[in-house]
Amino acid sequence: MDIYLRWKRPSRLVDNKRMRTTSDFQWLLSTFVLLYLMNHVTSQRKETPYDLKCTTNNLKMWDCSWKAPSGAGHGTLYEFCIDNRSHSCYQLARTNIEIPALSHGDHEITIRSLQDAGSSTSEFILNEKNISLIPDTPEILNLSADFSTSTLHVKWNDKGSVFPRHSNVIWEIKILRKKSMELVKLVTHNTSLSGKDAVHHWSWVSDLPLECAAHYVGMRCYVDSPLFSGHKEWSDWSPVKNISWTPDSQAKVFPQDKVVLVGSDITFCCVSQEKVLSAQIGRTYCPLIHLDGENVAIEVHDISVSDNSGTNVVFMIEDNVSGTVVFAGYPPDIPQNLNCETHDLKEIICSWNPGRPTGLVGPRNTSYTLFEGFSGKYIRFKRVEVSANGSYHQLLFQMVPNQEIYNFTLYARNPLGRSEATILVNITEKVYPHTPTSFKVKDINSTAVILSWHLPGSFAKINLLCQIEIKKINSVQELRNITIKGVENSSYRIAVGKLNPYTVYTFRIRCSAETFWKWSKWSNKKQHLTTEAIPSKGPDTWREWSSDGKNLIIYWKPLPINEANGKILSYNVSCSSDEETQSLSEIPDPQHKAEIQLDKNDYIISVVAKNSVGASPPSKIASMEIPNDDLKTEQAVGMGKGILLTWHQDPNMTCDYVIKWCNSSRSAPCLMDWRKVPSNSTEVLIESDQFRPGVRYNFFLYGCRNQGYQLLRSIIGYIEELAPIVAPNFTVEDTSADSILVKWEDIPVEELRGFLRGYLFYFEKGERDTSKIRGLESGRSDIKVKNITDISQKTLRIADLQGKTSYHLVLRAYTDGGMGPEKSMFVVTKENSVGLIIAILIPVAVAVIVGLVTSILCYRKREWIKETFYPDIPNPENCKALQFQKSVCEGSSALKTLEMNPCTPNSVEVLETRSTFPKIEDTEIISPVAECPEDSSGAEPENHVVVSYCPPIIEEEIPNPAGDEAGGTSQVIYIDVQSMYQPQVKPEEEHGKDPAGGAGYKPQMHLPINSTVEDIAAEDDLDKTAGYRPQANVNTWNLVSPDSPRSTDSNSEIVSFGSPCSINSRQFLIPPKDEDSPQSNGGGWSFTNFFQNKPND
Amino acid sequence: MCPLCLLMLLLPLLSPAAPISPAGPISQAYSLALYMQKNTSTLLQTYLQYQGSPFSDPGFSAPELQLSSLPPASVSFKIWHALDDGERLSRAQWAFLALTQHLQLVGDDQSDLNPGSPILLAQLGAARLRAQGLLGNMAAIMTALGLPIPPEEDTLGLVPFGASAFERKCRGYVVTREYGHWTDRAVRDLALLKAKYPA
Repeated sequence: MDIYLRWKRPSRLVDNKRMRTTSDFQWLLSTFVLLYLMNHVTSQRKETPYDLKCTTNNLKMWDCSWKAPSGAGHGTLYEFCIDNRSHSCYQLARTNIEIPALSHGDHEITIRSLQDAGSSTSEFILNEKNISLIPDTPEILNLSADFSTSTLHVKWNDKGSVFPRHSNVIWEIKILRKKSMELVKLVTHNTSLSGKDAVHHWSWVSDLPLECAAHYVGMRCYVDSPLFSGHKEWSDWSPVKNISWTPDSQAKVFPQDKVVLVGSDITFCCVSQEKVLSAQIGRTYCPLIHLDGENVAIEVHDISVSDNSGTNVVFMIEDNVSGTVVFAGYPPDIPQNLNCETHDLKEIICSWNPGRPTGLVGPRNTSYTLFEGFSGKYIRFKRVEVSANGSYHQLLFQMVPNQEIYNFTLYARNPLGRSEATILVNITEKVYPHTPTSFKVKDINSTAVILSWHLPGSFAKINLLCQIEIKKINSVQELRNITIKGVENSSYRIAVGKLNPYTVYTFRIRCSAETFWKWSKWSNKKQHLTTEAIPSKGPDTWREWSSDGKNLIIYWKPLPINEANGKILSYNVSCSSDEETQSLSEIPDPQHKAEIQLDKNDYIISVVAKNSVGASPPSKIASMEIPNDDLKTEQAVGMGKGILLTWHQDPNMTCDYVIKWCNSSRSAPCLMDWRKVPSNSTEVLIESDQFRPGVRYNFFLYGCRNQGYQLLRSIIGYIEELAPIVAPNFTVEDTSADSILVKWEDIPVEELRGFLRGYLFYFEKGERDTSKIRGLESGRSDIKVKNITDISQKTLRIADLQGKTSYHLVLRAYTDGGMGPEKSMFVVTKENSVGLIIAILIPVAVAVIVGLVTSILCYRKREWIKETFYPDIPNPENCKALQFQKSVCEGSSALKTLEMNPCTPNSVEVLETRSTFPKIEDTEIISPVAECPEDSSGAEPENHVVVSYCPPIIEEEIPNPAGDEAGGTSQVIYIDVQSMYQPQVKPEEEHGKDPAGGAGYKPQMHLPINSTVEDIAAEDDLDKTAGYRPQANVNTWNLVSPDSPRSTDSNSEIVSFGSPCSINSRQFLIPPKDEDSPQSNGGGWSFTNFFQNKPND
Repeated sequence: MCPLCLLMLLLPLLSPAAPISPAGPISQAYSLALYMQKNTSTLLQTYLQYQGSPFSDPGFSAPELQLSSLPPASVSFKIWHALDDGERLSRAQWAFLALTQHLQLVGDDQSDLNPGSPILLAQLGAARLRAQGLLGNMAAIMTALGLPIPPEEDTLGLVPFGASAFERKCRGYVVTREYGHWTDRAVRDLALLKAKYPA
């Protein structure tokens, strides 16, 4: 039972952690049960010693004890005999004995108690398997605490010297917290025994700062000796040792200024003598965990990254506050893009990107150390709070002499960790030179210069690759690479050739090592003008004979800058023939022409350009012109900016072709410019900024043969054709009853602005005003068009016209550039006079016959008439006066006896005004007469002679403005009836009456002056205000009127006869000189004026 | 402009002490104190803004925080009124001497805690210079009034160096706060003296 209990206890304390030993214990259990039964059998009687148990704590000595037999008192002696080879017995007066460990196998043990009453003997079988190994209780030598890190350090002795054999030991350490000894940690720690005493250490970091609560530590051990076959048990727990902190009087919060990893959990505690009210981290309040006394703690989980000055943890205590600061951040990131290079092979610059920010600054910031593996040198990075190089950090490492390969390791470290990056560089391949300085340019000759610059650095062991940028004004930059031997901190010089003389160049330079890594920055730019050289070519020369043929004018063009090679100062011109030589020297530069009087001999003219260095090779040209008989003038039209001339290659032309051109309207000698093309070319595109569209140019193609020029082609052309700007001037030469002969003149070349392609002649019936309303291009069928493509034609007869009709004639010229403006004229054809005479004679004859017949009849029946109408004694029954209503208007003169009012034949019925529309009946228009209202007011109707008078009003081409229209009511034109009735009211009065509707009568020809545009609004006004409006459209009325002017032209010169006043223009259509001529009041026209035709100019 | 006016106000420091009327130095000291008064709340707000919550929380105030090395400016009106000129000036002199040294300490603390905040460090530096200027002005007044000038002492002692970050933040708060209070008090002190010694 006892054994069982002893077995049971450890198994509970081991806490099921060591399941492997369970099977051993089961085996042991059966063994001990068997042993127990044997003992029980052998010591059935309690008169003998019983219950022998043996344990060991060091495997060397066994400690055996037994129970005394009943009746054994004080002073009982026992004889303990081990029956082995040397039968050894021990006499002792107590019930336990320490014997040396026995060998394997069963050993017979005899215990005999010797007492007064007699002796009794018990026999036991003892085997190692029956022995329990219980190590001595361990003792903690030292327990210390590092409060700053909340770490407990435990130190103890394993007492390994007592064990004869090497064994493994399991230590179990428990950590208890607070005065209530709450178990916070139970850990096992394995060691092995070496046969000697050894001191062991174990440390533990507390989550709760050690300052805030007392901590207790206890331990026990278990020796797991593999050779010991007996029962192994845990030792007893050692006495606990404790650690506590003596608080100040002031409350304090722990841990202080701790740097933690972002996302970690951390416990803060406050040691206080007074009650803590609340706690907060940042702005977050935390629940309090109460510790011993008034001490409290808070737990913070997953802490977030801190501000620069850390995260504040504040505990509010009664009338006080206490706190701490925690710095949550990250360990240093691996330095990224670590790169080392050198500017001068003296110093290595290593730069890197620190990567993710750590969130830690000041003393907690990451410190960097750059270590070089081969030389063992290192440098530390000085802390910079705001990096000058953006987010990059850099370190300068002094190069080690004669070392080219460097193995750099950059260590980054902060309180939370460390990282590193390495780079192996051959520094001669990582040269990024400084910007070249003191860059200078010096002349060698006109095509070469020397560049010099300074480049600091020890480049003696390497070659430098430098790039020179050469830039000409208005030209693409040129880059030239050169390789030069590096030198120690010195200047470099290089010659640059293949330059153009007298040219402004801009140079700059940059360098790198020959094993290219990076170009340096460009040096400053240096502008340099190369020196002059002699002109490389003679000027481009041409010659023209003067208009009188006596002088030869020599032209040359200024040399382009790349051929002049300097500033051209003057030209020398010489003309030489077989007999004589004439020369003109030192013609100053801006002059590019010279005139020499020559006879018609053949001369060779040579022109030389000179600059400060020397003279150009002469350019020569022959004076002779070879005649060309079959020369035709051609036409050409350009395309875009230029004009393309082509010709067939002529093998006779040995030297070159020259195309010269000029503005055709300029006087001779005609020369604007010329151009030479090689003799093998057959076309040239002549382009010039001077070309203008619509201007005619003459182009002359010369071929050069045997040192003389022959004019091959003469071309007139336009760069671009435009429409003519003027219309052809045309006149009517002749007019008949059915035809008109028109003649026109040429358009001057300047105004034609293109090659004339023809004329368009339009004609239509119509009067000036009406035709103007409609456009010619409207495609009306009544417009007849003649396209005259024969440009030499200058006259046109238009036949099949109607007699005595106004025709509208329009002529316009056109080129390929478009239609020119139109010129128009109005012509009235002559009347067919025979028909007209017949038409007049027949009605006259009829009227005479009717008159005669009536007179004869009246004469023959005069008695009857007298009886009927004028009886001597009137018969009242025959009085017709009583039947007035029936016959009042039958035109009989017999009514006079009744003294009736004379009856007018034009049955104008005067009505009382009952409505705004006066009733008008049977108004007959016989003759339109323009009546000027100013004049008419005082005139008597009876003695009125139809004399149309109008003030001389200048004809207005443009439509009358609306304001005129309103005033137009004052210019009433009304139509005479038989009696030449005139309105009795002033127009102004009439105008005033109209809206009131008081006028009983309105003449029908109450027309507004405006005839060009039908103003609907104005018409509406008339509708409302006046009770009457004109029945006829003024335009159509005008057209059919026989009184219309016979002919007018576009310049509004009046060609007219008769004396009507134009209803629309308010102007006499006859000239003022005809004003006094007799007027016809019947038809509105007269024979005298009928054939008047004033041709326009 | 501010460094210029500061220079102008500091100018009397450089001129050799001469038996002059106290009105001049009092007036100058008063002007400087008034000028300082305009910036004290800005300094305190800037300081708190950089210390994180709860310091930077709006309306933060912890009157219970005091520094033993820095005399508080608050005093009962009766006692203050009863002070004679010498005592009044020597208390202010002592306080601004302590403030000068404490502002230096706070500046050092903040260059560790907030190294990337040049605005705060500049304001602390400027406040320290102004406190020094006022000290000089007060010495001139005391000279003019014939009062003994207290010797410069180390007001900080050994205490502050091992302070935790939280303690450093708190003492910075107390220093910047007391700087304001003492400036307010100096304005009152000097106004009283100004009335007493009119020009």
